[in-house]
Amino acid sequence: MLKTLKKNYLIFLPIAFIAVIAQVDKYDQLTTSGTFGAAIRLAIPICLAGLGGMFSERSGVVNIGLEGMMIMGTWFGAWAAWMYGPWYGILAGIIGGAMFGLIHAVGTVTFQVDHIVSGVAINILAAGVARFLNVVAYADQPTQSATQSPRIDGEVGDFTLPYLSGGGETPSLFGYLQDLDLPFLSDFAGLLLGATSNLSYISIFALTLIPIAAWTLWSTPFGLQMRSVGELPTGSESLGVNVYLMKYIGVMISGGFAGLAGAYLVLESSGIYREGQTAGRGFIGLASMIFGNYKPLGIFMGSGLFGYADALQLRSDDAVHGLLVLISLILLIISIKQIIEKKYLSASISIMLCLGFLIWFLNSETVPSEFVYFTPHITTLIVLSSASQKLRMPKKVGQPYRKGELN
Amino acid sequence: MTLAINLSKISKSFPGVKANDDINLKIKEGTIHAIVGENGAGKSTLMKILYGMLKQDSGTIKIFDNEVKFSSPKDAIAKGIGMVHQHFMLADNLSVLESIILGMDKASLKILNKSKYKYEINEITNKYSMPLNTDSMIDELGVGEKQRVEIIKVLFRGAKILILDEPTAVLVPQEVRELFSNLKNLKESGVTIIFISHKLDEVLEIADEISVMRGGRHIDTVDSNSVSKTDLAEMMIGQNLPTPPKREKNPMEKKALVVNNFNAVEENGRKAFSNINFSINQGEIVGIAGVEGNGQRELAEAILGVFQIESGEIFLGENNINELTTRDRREQGLSFIPEDRQSQGLLMDMSLSENVILGKQSSSKYKTKLYNIKFNQASVNSNVVIKNFDVRTPGNETLPLALSGGNQQKFVVGREIENKPSLLIASQPTRGIDIGAQSLIWNKLRDARDEGLGVLLISADLDELIGLSDRIFVIYEGNFVKELDPEDATPEILGSYMTGLKS
Repeated sequence: MLKTLKKNYLIFLPIAFIAVIAQVDKYDQLTTSGTFGAAIRLAIPICLAGLGGMFSERSGVVNIGLEGMMIMGTWFGAWAAWMYGPWYGILAGIIGGAMFGLIHAVGTVTFQVDHIVSGVAINILAAGVARFLNVVAYADQPTQSATQSPRIDGEVGDFTLPYLSGGGETPSLFGYLQDLDLPFLSDFAGLLLGATSNLSYISIFALTLIPIAAWTLWSTPFGLQMRSVGELPTGSESLGVNVYLMKYIGVMISGGFAGLAGAYLVLESSGIYREGQTAGRGFIGLASMIFGNYKPLGIFMGSGLFGYADALQLRSDDAVHGLLVLISLILLIISIKQIIEKKYLSASISIMLCLGFLIWFLNSETVPSEFVYFTPHITTLIVLSSASQKLRMPKKVGQPYRKGELN
Repeated sequence: MTLAINLSKISKSFPGVKANDDINLKIKEGTIHAIVGENGAGKSTLMKILYGMLKQDSGTIKIFDNEVKFSSPKDAIAKGIGMVHQHFMLADNLSVLESIILGMDKASLKILNKSKYKYEINEITNKYSMPLNTDSMIDELGVGEKQRVEIIKVLFRGAKILILDEPTAVLVPQEVRELFSNLKNLKESGVTIIFISHKLDEVLEIADEISVMRGGRHIDTVDSNSVSKTDLAEMMIGQNLPTPPKREKNPMEKKALVVNNFNAVEENGRKAFSNINFSINQGEIVGIAGVEGNGQRELAEAILGVFQIESGEIFLGENNINELTTRDRREQGLSFIPEDRQSQGLLMDMSLSENVILGKQSSSKYKTKLYNIKFNQASVNSNVVIKNFDVRTPGNETLPLALSGGNQQKFVVGREIENKPSLLIASQPTRGIDIGAQSLIWNKLRDARDEGLGVLLISADLDELIGLSDRIFVIYEGNFVKELDPEDATPEILGSYMTGLKS
């Protein structure tokens, strides 16, 4: 883990930039604990979806149905939470997602359906199934509606680090430092405070899944077999790996993660199931998976970027204006990196985008409110697409595998 | 001496083909036993049955005198049989250690004990003196090393019987030497080795006993000391082994292709090739020898106009074609036999008469003034190719995927030669096809040369290069390191230049 962090030291630069920009009063929302806390809450569902995508693609199945599996997670999560309580909601969300994962696996692995076709089918099917179930399940409720569930009561509870962040009745060191308003020190204190206070137990559970996923795939025989199946199914089969089983498990874990992401959305942010609640987060998770090069830490960074931009647009329009210069700086780093790697064409595109954002920043006071709403998407899109790094997808991802066939 | 393997009355049919017909084979313990035969003779099927990948229709298998029934390779591994496939079963994205221990443990969530495995692997590599760095990634390894990983992988699973499927096909002569000395070490320590090949010289050198297969039948098993190459060849194909006989050179005065100072860089910044200068006369075959990945493929693609060059000039005949697109180059008389017929040479799901159009679809040969395709013309021409190049097919409406590799290749070669080019780039023209098709393609290439065609021949088959070429260039790390006269060249000499031992 430390080794990976050391190798990817570049990811800390944006954080440093943010701290620098936040020195300007107008943009101080960039580094408050509130922003970071919101960023984490917004990033988690995307991160979970990305991790789910990773399991599926590592076992060689393209999972564009993440969105649909996530929808199932929201519906089942809301229903079980309403019936039995929030933790049952989590469980039901996972199971609901995994069930749709199973459908995807049956289609792609057993019947060799094209992975994209099956995934799109899953997405369409899930939307329909969710609405159908919603009508049936809440038929006798006074708040009956085709697109909404009743409000869910009950809390999972949350956790704040004692002493450092003021959990329990203890003093809060980070809070104190943040309030001092010292340059940099307070900004980092805000970051740490946001990351360690008022974290719900579901968030903690979700965050621990990141190292667990990494450990499972890279340190256990199970993980080795799963990765080998995505790289070289025939060879693995001849060494006694059960390729079909591995793919089934991979896709089902994938569905489970997406379902958890859906349940998280319901329980953490809205407290209610609403149609269209996932709003493309499954696809953004897929994008963060590609950005993260099919690795958990990278996926976390990718989803963190989106979560952060999303949190900013929710909290302050002014801060979004500060985001412009941040994008510009990130693009500058990327272009320098590309120049060193002698990729001149992509470097010049990055520089042009970088200048464009800089000019926009300098010639405006605020960002138009229409733009504010989709900053997270456009930020993610620009950064992900310019950071064209050496991506390495599993070799046989998306290709059908028939048992007993050589090649 | 005990029998390691005793196969009796093994038969296996596929729809329309009897792949194995009543095969009886006895292999003694601690020997190297070669199985030779043409492509399609049933060697692979038999080995797949022995390795549990296929199930025989009838017959019994005895391993060390115990009758066994395999339903998957796992069972075969458990009985001490290991197989090294011709195409390595290695994932580039795994480390050597991971590749070797894959599948050793149940798919559990226990932590992999990597240090223990590393220790055990090192013991094996030391015992048989086959050094390996267990931490490298597979894609950092050369071909010979990858093969070593495959062998270690099998030994690590406690194999007593080792099946090697065409192990030398991908190696240069020096690597073959190394492999053979490794195999002898293994034999000495009691491992039984089954060596599948169609290279008779190698088989005679390494094997103790040789079994010959033809048409799904086991013809005979002979002692390697009491048999000659010609005998084996006759048993294999019922006629003499064709080798490309050397002929008089008579290149014409006119140049077919001139390449001046070619330089190119790959996408990742590595030099693909640099300072390439050569010319090909009409009526001349120029061969390029090199270990795969040393720039010969990029060179061929650069001449074709697919691969971007950095600097240099190229003339087709008299004309400078630097600025021309691939399509224009082909219309000016360039033809190309790609190394992979299935992905680059043919549309596998379209009929032969449609496939004959490929490469000429934009020329007036197959295009009317109204931009329609002349299908009748295509049908006629495909029949010409089928007839002249002895493509065994029910008709020109057949899909290529229904044909054998040799017939597909004959069709590709025929199409390119029948287009009457002035220069032909032939990349691996006879890779992976049977002897009959091979000798036909050789003859056709030579005939075309005698009629004035210039040919650039790129091949990994060194005998083919020496037999066909009028001149040979050796390419190493993107440079022409040596020009050789095929009269003086042997595979060993070529190999030492190809691997950079000599320069």
